[in-house]
Amino acid sequence: MNKSMKTSKFLTKFLFYAGNIIIGIIFISPLLWMISASLKPEAEIFANMNSLKTFVPVQASLNNFKEVFSRLDMVQVFKNTFVYIALILVLDLLLNSICGYALAKYDFKGKGLMLNFIVALMVMPMEAIMLPLYIEMSQLGWVNTLPALVVPFVAKCFSIYMFRQFFCDIPDELLEAASLDGCSPVKTFFMVVMPISKTVYATVFILDFVAHWNDFMWPFLIMTGEDKRTIQLAVQVFFGTQPIHYSAIMAALVVSAIPMLVMFMFMQKYYIEGIASSGIKG
Amino acid sequence: MSKQVKLSGRKKNERTAAYIFTIPAMFLLVAFLVVPILYTIRYSLFQYQIVRPDNISFIGLQNYTKLFQDENFWIALKNTVYFTVLVVPFQCVLALALAMLVSSKFRGVAIFRTMYFSPQLTSMVVVSILWTVLYNSNPSTGLINSMLTSLGMEPVNFLSNAKTAMNSIIFMSGWQGAGYQMMIFLAGLQGIPRDQYEAASVDGATKVQQFLYVTLPGLKGTIKYVVMITMIQAMKLFTQPYVMTQGGPKNSTKTLVYYIYTQGFQQGNFGYACAVAAVFFVIVVIMSLSMKKLIAATD
Amino acid sequence: MKLKKAAKMLLASALSLTLALSLTACGGGGGSSDSTGGGSDSQEASSDGAVNLTLWQPTDKEAVENWWVEKLDEWNAEHPEIQVKREAIDRSDSYAYENKITTAVTSNDLPDIFFVDGPAVSYYAANGIIVPISEYFGEDELSDFADSTVAQCTYDDELYAISATESSVALYYNKDYLKDCDVDVKDIESRTLDNPLTWSELAEIAEKCTTDNYVGTHVIMDHGEGLPYALEPMFISNGKDFISEDGSEAEGYVNSKESVETAEYLAKLIADGYANIDPIQDEFLNGACATMLGGSWDVAILEGSADFDWGVTYYPVSDSTKKAVSPCGDWSAAVSKNCEHVAEAGEFLQWLMSKENVASYAAAIAKPATRASSYEEESMAEYKDGPRAMFVEQLQNTAVPRPRTPSYSVFSSKYAEAMTNIFSDAASAHEVKTDYIQEQLDSVVSAFQEDYDMYYAN
Repeated sequence: MNKSMKTSKFLTKFLFYAGNIIIGIIFISPLLWMISASLKPEAEIFANMNSLKTFVPVQASLNNFKEVFSRLDMVQVFKNTFVYIALILVLDLLLNSICGYALAKYDFKGKGLMLNFIVALMVMPMEAIMLPLYIEMSQLGWVNTLPALVVPFVAKCFSIYMFRQFFCDIPDELLEAASLDGCSPVKTFFMVVMPISKTVYATVFILDFVAHWNDFMWPFLIMTGEDKRTIQLAVQVFFGTQPIHYSAIMAALVVSAIPMLVMFMFMQKYYIEGIASSGIKG
Repeated sequence: MSKQVKLSGRKKNERTAAYIFTIPAMFLLVAFLVVPILYTIRYSLFQYQIVRPDNISFIGLQNYTKLFQDENFWIALKNTVYFTVLVVPFQCVLALALAMLVSSKFRGVAIFRTMYFSPQLTSMVVVSILWTVLYNSNPSTGLINSMLTSLGMEPVNFLSNAKTAMNSIIFMSGWQGAGYQMMIFLAGLQGIPRDQYEAASVDGATKVQQFLYVTLPGLKGTIKYVVMITMIQAMKLFTQPYVMTQGGPKNSTKTLVYYIYTQGFQQGNFGYACAVAAVFFVIVVIMSLSMKKLIAATD
Repeated sequence: MKLKKAAKMLLASALSLTLALSLTACGGGGGSSDSTGGGSDSQEASSDGAVNLTLWQPTDKEAVENWWVEKLDEWNAEHPEIQVKREAIDRSDSYAYENKITTAVTSNDLPDIFFVDGPAVSYYAANGIIVPISEYFGEDELSDFADSTVAQCTYDDELYAISATESSVALYYNKDYLKDCDVDVKDIESRTLDNPLTWSELAEIAEKCTTDNYVGTHVIMDHGEGLPYALEPMFISNGKDFISEDGSEAEGYVNSKESVETAEYLAKLIADGYANIDPIQDEFLNGACATMLGGSWDVAILEGSADFDWGVTYYPVSDSTKKAVSPCGDWSAAVSKNCEHVAEAGEFLQWLMSKENVASYAAAIAKPATRASSYEEESMAEYKDGPRAMFVEQLQNTAVPRPRTPSYSVFSSKYAEAMTNIFSDAASAHEVKTDYIQEQLDSVVSAFQEDYDMYYAN
């Protein structure tokens, strides 16, 4: 390798990092602003909005966080939230992946119809069916119970479709080999397909986790009572009536974002492993 | 095709498995998505003031005839289409670019991925509140306008001018949502076998050629999926106008879902809101199914 | 093959469940109310014969939450036969809370008692969501409450709700900055309720004070309920209210010549750049504007964190009439149609609205009390003078409730939309177009009238 090639390689690498850092900062700015605001006293939050100083907490203190933890039973809130999201996600990953797999790899009557049905249902906005869904829950006697938070949201057209797209790329030869080895379809799926599909499971997990972590309107309508508060409802406590303290809101939001951040960093691992497993898939 | 050589025994097994695999999800979809939709269609045939469930009257298709003469409905439809047509390419290209930046394994890749995904980690409501302030028309309070004026440009009333409000929301939405699609592209990129790149590299293909002839074809399925879900999510635009502009100014950011929500809840015209929802549903189903056909035709 | 059959059966049962559900929906939707009333089981009398009442209210600050805990413990200990439980509802804005009420109405899941925002009382009353409570509050008792409060809570000559606290809006000003701009601060300080600042005086101050770094004034620009709430007094002061006294007619009121004039005045403040079209939160607190039409709740915030000298004066009046008017209205307690023990709920509200409780509640929530006698209480001492006393004076003398009409929410959202459009137009054109204002206010009339005629006109 001669010198100029080395320099150019270094330059490429430098530009690559510089680009990533600049774009990264633009993307992370709201999070930074939120964190900085959560450390500021109320009067400072919207001051200096015309300059980059708004991202710097000059008189930083943890008072806002103290307020959050003194007003909310965060242990209870996190417990409530994790329980219902964990239930949704376990069922979500299981039921939607097997459904997506069948749609990708099996031939059966009604398959085309099902696919169209799923694509068509993807478009229904929650805002439009919220009230009818509530009425249905009320008739089932589920208002203010855990099933109302979980059961209606297990099956997701987006997830089914995502799994299907992914499983379509798995070579048929692999499945046939398993079949010739005497694997039943169920066994093939769990022993052969699942282990090489970590990336798609991780993707659906991350996306659905984030979506449910931000759930507000539905838990708000269906659940009543402090002991049943989920994370976004807890954050709303600080929106309250006048006067609204944005400093406390921001602190509550930071607290609510931390578990997601940790989860996201953790799930990344499966993306790296995805690279290694792609060899089998090719 | 490999399907033809499948053994018939396996096929039978498969069919059984197919039903076992699909029925749980399908059952839940029918019970908790189709049933509410049926309710919606039913209520759309009634005059139904939302807080008077005991006093609803059947009025046939009157809500629908009213709807087609309702100027606000057409404005909302137009705005929804406008938003979708612009935000989909913007967001998808941005997401693909981000995915390319962080697809390979390098020091700090996890941090950069987190950065690009981070707008998703804060809720849309918060992001909207923040951008409302960033977009503020007064250069002494709004960061973007303060930058514009220091560059010698005129300040822009981003959200309070009917001409710029929707474009401002489009820009923000693309920025906020790209991290989501990036994750899906990343999953897709992991599925492209390494050896294809190696082979291309041995053949002397440049990075650009590798992108065009290996990456893009390899991502075909993912791109289809991403375009489709971005489009569908775009059609549902609600939170941003709800928080930032309340559908204004001059109706420029009033979207269909926003209209359904305000008609149903704030104005209490639940029967009418259901009619709008039903029509919205039909439009979007037609759009997405024809989109699916169109994409399938490109194979 | 067997499995396939089973699968088919499963699908069939799914479909039949679907069908059954939609059928019961027909029953539930049309006929309504299986007489059990509230879905909350707590409504049923418990085995020892005690009546259980549930109360909903938006979650509030810590002091208020603590007040409830303490007071309900007290009540429940003294009244073993009537046990009251409060559920604090976490909400992002008043719309979210109203959605929750609305949703509970559709399935008869309402609590026994719930808090409603003042102008929503007529809507809930006209639709039978809340029941009259007149018999629990005699005339003697009510005469102690502010007239505006009683008026806001009355519909069809019946009292439907009752409130412990009030709110108001007045003109705040940054004394330090006004002095720098050569505005006569002494003059503003000397104003009384008979002689408030006029619109032209306000415009003059705003003009003097507007620079690159300051705007002259601040108008609530929340695109929502804040607009009709804060601006209605301007319209009334200029001669015409939003809607006729009986709540049925908007034509000739919100779109009258006088009302167009009022809107023109406001739009001109925006067009001339004296007020921001999209002011940020805390604009005044951050020292970025000279004056502000702000709420009674801002007193505490400014006392806590303003680093400049400020004052507050009466709500400005129209030059032509000089008639002093001010906004009012706050959350009020009402008894729902699903309540099976109205008498007990009434008894509880009587206690809740006692002179002492109103005083301590008002102190906890830092809002003016509705009862005149409550101000004698120790806890209300800070309302004796200063900015708070001014707000009380305004409330007791010039407060006018928002229109009492069942179509208020339609009116309110359409009005907010129209005013936003008018301001946006003024800001981008840098001029005020009378025709456009007329057209926008006309559209408010037609939206209001359509809703009123469809659901409430006889």
